[in-house]
Amino acid sequence: MTVRRGDDGLIVLDGVCTVEHAEPLLQLLQTMPAAEVDWRQCGQLHTAVLQLVLASGKASIGPCGDAWVEQWLVPKLPQNEAGS
Amino acid sequence: MSALQEQFVTEARELIRQATDDLIVLERDGASPERVDRVFRAFHTLKGSAGVVELPAMSIMLHAGEDLLAGVRQGTLAGGPDIIDAALACLDQVSRWVDDFEAAGAMPARAGEDSRILAERMRSYLPAEASQQQPGSAVRQSTAGMAAGLPDWAARMIAAERDAMASRMPKHASALWAISYQPIPGCFYNGDDPLQLMRQVPDLLAFHIEPVEPFAPLSDIDPYACNLRLQAISAGDRDEIARIFRLVPDQVQITGIPPDAILATPSVAGDADQTLIRSVIEAQCELLRISHRTDDLAGCAGAAARVATNALRHADHSQLADTVRRAGSMTLVQRDVGPLLTALEQALVALIETPSTAAAEDFSGLSAGAPSATERPAERVLRVSEAKIEALVNLAGELVVAKNALAHSAKRVEQDFGGQEAARSIRRDYDAIDRLVVELHGTILQLRMVPVAQVFRSLHRLVRDVSRQLGKNVGLMTSGEAAEADKTIVDRLFEPLVHLVRNALDHGIESPAQRREAGKPETAAISIEASRIGDRFLIEVTDDGRGIDSAVVRRRASEKRLVPADELAALTDEQVVDLVFAPGFSTAAEVSDISGRGIGMDVVRTVVEQIGGRVSLSSRVGAGTTVRLDLPMTIAMSRVMVVEAGGQLFGISMDAVSETVRLTPDRISQIKNNLGFVLRERLVPIVSLAELMKLPERAKEDAAARLFVVMEAAGRITAFEVDAIRDRLDVVLKPMQGLLENARGYAGTTLLGDGQVLLVLDVKELLP
Repeated sequence: MTVRRGDDGLIVLDGVCTVEHAEPLLQLLQTMPAAEVDWRQCGQLHTAVLQLVLASGKASIGPCGDAWVEQWLVPKLPQNEAGS
Repeated sequence: MSALQEQFVTEARELIRQATDDLIVLERDGASPERVDRVFRAFHTLKGSAGVVELPAMSIMLHAGEDLLAGVRQGTLAGGPDIIDAALACLDQVSRWVDDFEAAGAMPARAGEDSRILAERMRSYLPAEASQQQPGSAVRQSTAGMAAGLPDWAARMIAAERDAMASRMPKHASALWAISYQPIPGCFYNGDDPLQLMRQVPDLLAFHIEPVEPFAPLSDIDPYACNLRLQAISAGDRDEIARIFRLVPDQVQITGIPPDAILATPSVAGDADQTLIRSVIEAQCELLRISHRTDDLAGCAGAAARVATNALRHADHSQLADTVRRAGSMTLVQRDVGPLLTALEQALVALIETPSTAAAEDFSGLSAGAPSATERPAERVLRVSEAKIEALVNLAGELVVAKNALAHSAKRVEQDFGGQEAARSIRRDYDAIDRLVVELHGTILQLRMVPVAQVFRSLHRLVRDVSRQLGKNVGLMTSGEAAEADKTIVDRLFEPLVHLVRNALDHGIESPAQRREAGKPETAAISIEASRIGDRFLIEVTDDGRGIDSAVVRRRASEKRLVPADELAALTDEQVVDLVFAPGFSTAAEVSDISGRGIGMDVVRTVVEQIGGRVSLSSRVGAGTTVRLDLPMTIAMSRVMVVEAGGQLFGISMDAVSETVRLTPDRISQIKNNLGFVLRERLVPIVSLAELMKLPERAKEDAAARLFVVMEAAGRITAFEVDAIRDRLDVVLKPMQGLLENARGYAGTTLLGDGQVLLVLDVKELLP
């Protein structure tokens, strides 16, 4: 699993995201203030990682790879509510 | 049981205790406005909390009690014994219900009926028009309490997602559960993944996640501090849900909601909830305004803040709750109700403007600036289960034993290997570890120390009830309530103290007429004093009654053949009085309800000796009796003397040893079948320890001095003859286990430094 800077200025979450990925994700969020988060490839998300995505308020590129989050959470995210 | 319910149980017990104490003082010393106020507030707080945890029957009864006390407060009712009786009966009932609620999570089925009967009894004392007014408001209270089931957030969630939820609803769902989970900020460090718990919730109907406090900007955010609240509604099984959250019970609140809540218009339930919360908070404001006039600001503000915080938290206004809680502690620090009153008033405004959480957030932002600067952390109390403390005590005890082994190693290094230098170094380390271990052990034992006040409290009630029953006037004075001893000791003290007080009331204290005749004040006095002297814990129970007549005791003892006649004749008056502790002794002419079965004082001695204490009694005919309990403060450690007899080591508890003497053979004489000697004019029979333990006796040289350990137990004096006295040790006594469990004559075992098992003798059982 990685949290990495994508080719096209995206922050990419790839695979299962554990609590250890919170710190690198935060660094990327801080250094790339304009980047969107691409979580299509991610596996199960840890709460700490999800919390950062929520706190960043950034648009995310979905559908989220974590099906549970996609079902229960994504429909209620502000950007999605505004869009729909 | 949710955290809120647990808190209710703890607080209710404290309030019941406090109100019971106050009622008894109130009856004794007359109704001072402050005290009536305090009792009234206790009833009021209890009623409010009972409403919050949804126990309407309890609320209704307490409401009637509150009216009764309001009458006393306004002076329309005199606080006579009948009214005090009724109020005490009400508290007793609440206390039983709290026990039931704690054990079963609900009140017994007949609670409604009991509540009605007691409420009617209390209302019967009220003037007619007051009792007419009240039932209406009681009913309003109870219906509001029942409607409080649906938390605000759940009502909002249902309103927003009703259709989706209805479509997910399983066909056979019998109940729905609203789960509100607010993980502690440090939960990630504990390895928790809150989302992972939520994923496991069965039959999820709706889920919501939100920040507890607004998220900090990304530049300041702490990625490892959880700032989320997770809420869900599930149609799954309650037990299964509880199992998922079993490790975080303090962070989660699971509330049952009826399945038709999804069909009903949710706003009604939400409003009822809001109304109840508002009325609870309004009542607290009122109370605070009154409290300007009383001295007991701390008690009043503390109670108001607690009730309001609980109510707000229950309705899921946790931010408002936190703000009120903070304002409450500020009020206590500043001794000014201002901050709390302001916070409560702001909360009322916020509640009217909610249900949206936005208002609550604004409110917290509004007041956050002012308190945070002056806020001081209040002293926090940690509740820890007794079992955990027990484990710690045991570990510390093992450490003491392990430490003793080090001294033994030093000796071996020195003797077997000639390493003086190394031995010295080990001893130095031993000393350092010894200091630390002693300190550690002491500190851990401190955790178990509780004040004796809790035992004394119930005695006031006992004296009041029993003296009324006997038609005697008795005042009980207690002092030294703050003195502390080990919890085990304090817990076990209750029984002997009850017997002592009952005995004093029944046998010691004369009837008012007899007292008048004897020229004594009609009101008798019993005093109980606790004090700490060195490492002993003393309790003295004194009455100013008729005292114990040694002649009566002597006659009684001979009638009951408690002691052989010739022995009885040889006893001094003091020793004779001590016979009241003998099993089967009773001076009361008849068996009464209260005491006089002849077992009371026997129990006192047995229990006190079991916890390592001694009982002594002094009495003057016509002037009264004092019973003195001399107790250890802790029972985890005992001091033993290690003696050698027949080539084996034995421990003798130092509690039993009164002295050791070395005597030349000419001091020892044959008395009847036994050997014995005279020590300070007392005849001391000799028992050879080796012979007693069926070990070969060492050949004695005729002229050599012989060594005796003199012991007193159960009023008898005996000397053990031993070959040598080795050591005095602080040991952790382990009870006999396994095959030896039933072996008589041993108090337990302990490990010596060299790994030998030391058998510690139970002197009382061994003596003939």
